[in-house]
Amino acid sequence: MIIHPVARRILARLATSLVVVWGSITAAFLALHALPGRIEDILAGDLIYPGLREAIIAEWGLDRSLFAQYVDFVGRIAAGDFGLSYVLRQPVAQIVGSQIWPTVHLASAAGVLALILAGVAATLTAGRGRLARGLAAAVELTCASAPVFWIGILLLMLFSFTLRWFPVSGAQSWQALVLPAVALALPTAGLLAQVLREAMERALEQPFVVTVRARGLGEGLIRLRHVLRHAALPAVTLGGWLIGGLLGGAVITEKVFGRPGLGTVTLNAVLSHDVPVVLAVVLLAAFIHVAASTLLDIVYVVIDPRLRQQ
Amino acid sequence: MTAAAPLALRRRSALAWPLLAAAAVCAGPALAAAQPQPGGSITFGVTTEPVCFNPQRSTQQNSFIVIRNFVDSLIAKGAGGRFLPWLATSWTISPDGKVYDLKLRPDVTFHDGEKLDAAAVKFNLDFVKDLKNANAASELVRSLAQVDAVGPHEVRLTLSQPDSTFLESLSSIRLGILSPKALQSGDQLCSGGPALAGTGPFLFESYTRGQSVALVRNKDYAWAPGYAAHTGPAYLDRATIRFLPEYSVRAGALSSGQVDVIEGVQPTDAALFKDQPGFQFITGPSGAQTAFTLNINYTIPPATDVRVRQALRDGADIGALVKSVYLGTVRPAWSNIGPENPFYDKTLEGTWGNDPAKANKLLDEAGWTGRDAEGFRTKDGQRLTIEVGYPQPYVRDNRDVLIQGVQAQLRKKLGFDLKLRITTGGEWAQQLAKGTWTIYPNTYLPADAARELDANIGRNGFISAVADKADQPLFDLIEKAQRATDIEAKREFTAAAQKRAVEQAFIVPLFAANYQLAAKDTIRGLSFETQLDSPSNLYDVWVAQP
Repeated sequence: MIIHPVARRILARLATSLVVVWGSITAAFLALHALPGRIEDILAGDLIYPGLREAIIAEWGLDRSLFAQYVDFVGRIAAGDFGLSYVLRQPVAQIVGSQIWPTVHLASAAGVLALILAGVAATLTAGRGRLARGLAAAVELTCASAPVFWIGILLLMLFSFTLRWFPVSGAQSWQALVLPAVALALPTAGLLAQVLREAMERALEQPFVVTVRARGLGEGLIRLRHVLRHAALPAVTLGGWLIGGLLGGAVITEKVFGRPGLGTVTLNAVLSHDVPVVLAVVLLAAFIHVAASTLLDIVYVVIDPRLRQQ
Repeated sequence: MTAAAPLALRRRSALAWPLLAAAAVCAGPALAAAQPQPGGSITFGVTTEPVCFNPQRSTQQNSFIVIRNFVDSLIAKGAGGRFLPWLATSWTISPDGKVYDLKLRPDVTFHDGEKLDAAAVKFNLDFVKDLKNANAASELVRSLAQVDAVGPHEVRLTLSQPDSTFLESLSSIRLGILSPKALQSGDQLCSGGPALAGTGPFLFESYTRGQSVALVRNKDYAWAPGYAAHTGPAYLDRATIRFLPEYSVRAGALSSGQVDVIEGVQPTDAALFKDQPGFQFITGPSGAQTAFTLNINYTIPPATDVRVRQALRDGADIGALVKSVYLGTVRPAWSNIGPENPFYDKTLEGTWGNDPAKANKLLDEAGWTGRDAEGFRTKDGQRLTIEVGYPQPYVRDNRDVLIQGVQAQLRKKLGFDLKLRITTGGEWAQQLAKGTWTIYPNTYLPADAARELDANIGRNGFISAVADKADQPLFDLIEKAQRATDIEAKREFTAAAQKRAVEQAFIVPLFAANYQLAAKDTIRGLSFETQLDSPSNLYDVWVAQP
């Protein structure tokens, strides 16, 4: 049986992804055991009470061999069982599961917003006069290097405390999503716009642009229909990395805006040394990274004909 | 019984100490104007989202600001430390201090409809005491030997030994009474909601993690604590507690009118609300929790030498450092017991601190006369150094900055290397278990003064792992204070213990922490709860029509 080369590429990519996922689970397990102190103390977090140590030893099988513990750990994670948070006294999966959606809303709104902002900025300014490009570059650089925390506070001061257009916190309405999404989107948009504009400027110098121009197409259509598509490839490459940035930024954004979500859970877990929750979030972040980069690689194969011919 | 009554009465009146500065704390000048009106709702922005809403399990001081709204205690603690009726209308203590007879209110119902009776109280105390249930509050009932329901609403508590801290423990929110049905449910009740059924003036309607808690008035409430300003149900229909961990965001939310009250105001933000039209700013007492204190492990060299400890205590100008870090919003401390605590030893004030000349002399005498390349003192080639291990979860409101200030002054003025290292909770737990910590900075949860001394610098304190090498005279004083059945004897022993700890420089008290509230001026009836040392619940709060 002959497997189609595209399918083979995709299968190979999926297989490497699985190896990376297994590697991250192993790394998490080793990190847990490498921490100074007894594992049961580490897992217990800051709320030690009588009887807890014994309960943890029984639940994690800490009296068994390291290898048996490892096999058990991998098996449990594979089954979606992240254990119990001893600080919050709830199953970790329940805590993370109930808090993932506000973060997904925030991160996806910010992601879409960043794409739109970067696309518009790059399309409007690529290859234009020095002043426009210089101005755009300065704004992008400011956005890309400003901390989310600081942008968030500035946005709040202007639009919430002074103008009172948007509420300060919460996740109960779309209005409450606007400021956090903008705060989270701006650094990403700044970075993306820089990459996109450079790529567009390179594409604008390509012979095919001269050809399209010769066909009498307007400048706007040339940019939108032809140049942007070519220039999008490097930006897609950045995508996987940016998803990580959005997740990391969400932690800080949620704290500044007092929003529920994984960020708040993670921060509280770190502060109260709720290791089972931290472990789950770290693994989840690793899975999301792997899933995103795998997906992008597959998308690459589909949209770039050159990759299909190899 | 009859013989016990007069004695207990006498003791209770003896407990009515002259009102201290704490009693002067009130809700500001706006309060006097109008009559309280029922109705309305408020939003309260707080710093901390409780990790656990079950009072018997929580150890987070800031969680109790929220929890007090739906949980009552058997006994109330009023201003000046007087014990007042709450769920128990009266109590008597036997002459030997070992038998407490409590009479309960007959008309109290839990939020889940269950009746409060002697059996429910017995169930609660037995539940907390049973180590299997893993309740943090079990430390408060260590001396409790037996609980008997001697009548439908009469409870007899028998102690294994006299315990002068016991009334305080009964008044603590950590021994708040919950519905036995809820406790029996097997749920740990940490995530709150209606399942966490207390008897308080508000019902716990819902909890949105990371965001808010919704409270709704308990319209049947008729058992307000003895210190409350009114009786009957709370004034507010509803209240929302909003978690806003960022200082500047809380201040901005209040100044833009998006919340009505905030707790935890940064010194630099206080001017936004203090004496500003439309706002009020109130500072709470510092009586129930301990002062922020450096506890020194004096069993480990070089801190075994009293001269080294005294030099550490006196080398820096702590008053000036506290002033510059907190801009006059907190007070320097002279003892680890809070300055508004009735058992605070006032005679310690001005007796120590800020004397670098004497500190240098002490270090010279102790043989730390060499100097190394960095200018630190040495003895036999060893640098004079002690580490402050500060567990990260407890680092807050610039306390690490304050310690860095002390560190800089000790280095400059004495050549003393005070190291500050931020550690983890797990590492601290280990050091505590082995007694290997060197200096531990802390404030302790509100409790009776004798219990605080015991839990910090007594036999059950941080030094417990190496207690045999520690200061037995100090332990004896603290134990006597705990067992004293006479208030004057207790005062004497707690004062002597504080004096010994400071004179021997087992501790270096830094400042007395307090709470700040800022609110719109239409919000009336805000106050502080003596037992909690933090903002009271919202029972007496009402909204004035502007």
